[in-house]
Amino acid sequence: MIACTQARSWFGAYWDDEITQAEREALEAHFTGCPACRTEYEGLAHTLELVASLPRHEASPELLEHTIARVRRVAVAPDRLRATPRPAWVPLAAAATLLIVGAGLLAPWLGSRGRVDGPVASRTASPREPQLVRVSAGAPAVDATSQGALATATPASALVDSLIDHSADVDFVLDPVHVSRGRMVSNPLKQRAQGQQAVITF
Amino acid sequence: MKTPMGPDREPSTLAILSLSDEDLMARVGEDDERAFTELVRRYQGRVTNLVSRVLNDRECADDLAQEVFIRVFVHRRNYRRGSKLSTWVFTIAANLAKNEIRRRVRRRNWFSLDALQEVLKDSAAVLADPTEGRDRSMEREQLQNELGKAIATIPEKYRFSLVLRDVEGLAYEEIAEVLGIPGGTVRSRINRARSMLKRKLQPLMRRERS
Repeated sequence: MIACTQARSWFGAYWDDEITQAEREALEAHFTGCPACRTEYEGLAHTLELVASLPRHEASPELLEHTIARVRRVAVAPDRLRATPRPAWVPLAAAATLLIVGAGLLAPWLGSRGRVDGPVASRTASPREPQLVRVSAGAPAVDATSQGALATATPASALVDSLIDHSADVDFVLDPVHVSRGRMVSNPLKQRAQGQQAVITF
Repeated sequence: MKTPMGPDREPSTLAILSLSDEDLMARVGEDDERAFTELVRRYQGRVTNLVSRVLNDRECADDLAQEVFIRVFVHRRNYRRGSKLSTWVFTIAANLAKNEIRRRVRRRNWFSLDALQEVLKDSAAVLADPTEGRDRSMEREQLQNELGKAIATIPEKYRFSLVLRDVEGLAYEEIAEVLGIPGGTVRSRINRARSMLKRKLQPLMRRERS
């Protein structure tokens, strides 16, 4: 006679009728001599009978109609199965956000200019071209705007940087975020930035 | 979807109805709406029952079944002619049902084992109630409800094998294909699931016998 563990390992196959004739005979012989295994198998058989007796859940009458309606929409717009139309306010909101963020970033720079150059109104004027305020040592001061020919008469190399009016200029100092072991540390550049230097943090 | 063509080229509705599953799917691949409608008709019951039993959620089963057929349509050209259509459809259904189970687990909105034990306790009490005039069919319905809940508490990987085998009656080889696991694993999972279910139902069955 086969052992109980062997017999129990065949229960499933016996129920599914996927057992060889020899195994079937051995199992049935075991059942006659082992009431415990027989009871165990009866319990399993009863459970599976209950499962088999479960009523089938039928599809709702609307399933077919709804499915066909959705498939028609899918067929019109392939690969956009779950795509939902983007609301009209999304681009507007994105533009407004960008505007606000941009204004926020520029605010310190604009404030700095305002303190140096005067009223805010002057900052809204269109950008001025660099103006020649004086020539190199020994040469007479010349208004570059009224003497446009000067630029051509004087070699470019002769126009030293000091000839340009830098009063409206701003130094841009790129401020690399200094990260050490996952924590941002104070940036030495920031402390050194003075006067009209604008620090751009990225 | 194809609009109906001339009667010389378009098969009659009767012809569509008599097509084999594979031929029907071939026509679906050619965007034949009538063929797709027939495919949904043929499988809607089995798909709904499968997902309903796996999730133990009749309400959700319709939505999920609809999703299954949409996937069938979207992937209609991926179907390999020669493979069994029912296996392919069940594979899609099983995958969507698994996703749904995971979504529910994430939402912590799933029937817990503790809750089941409570229900089983209550149910056992109800079944043991010798109140005169209690309708036998109501008891049966109650038992089936508890059975559905008990199936739903079996761990997912065993549950799918059990439902595909003992509810839907698929062959072991088909289950292996649907779940993408070896045949030996299918057998062991089914055995394990049956043992679990038997253990869970023992209190109910004892009462029922008495």
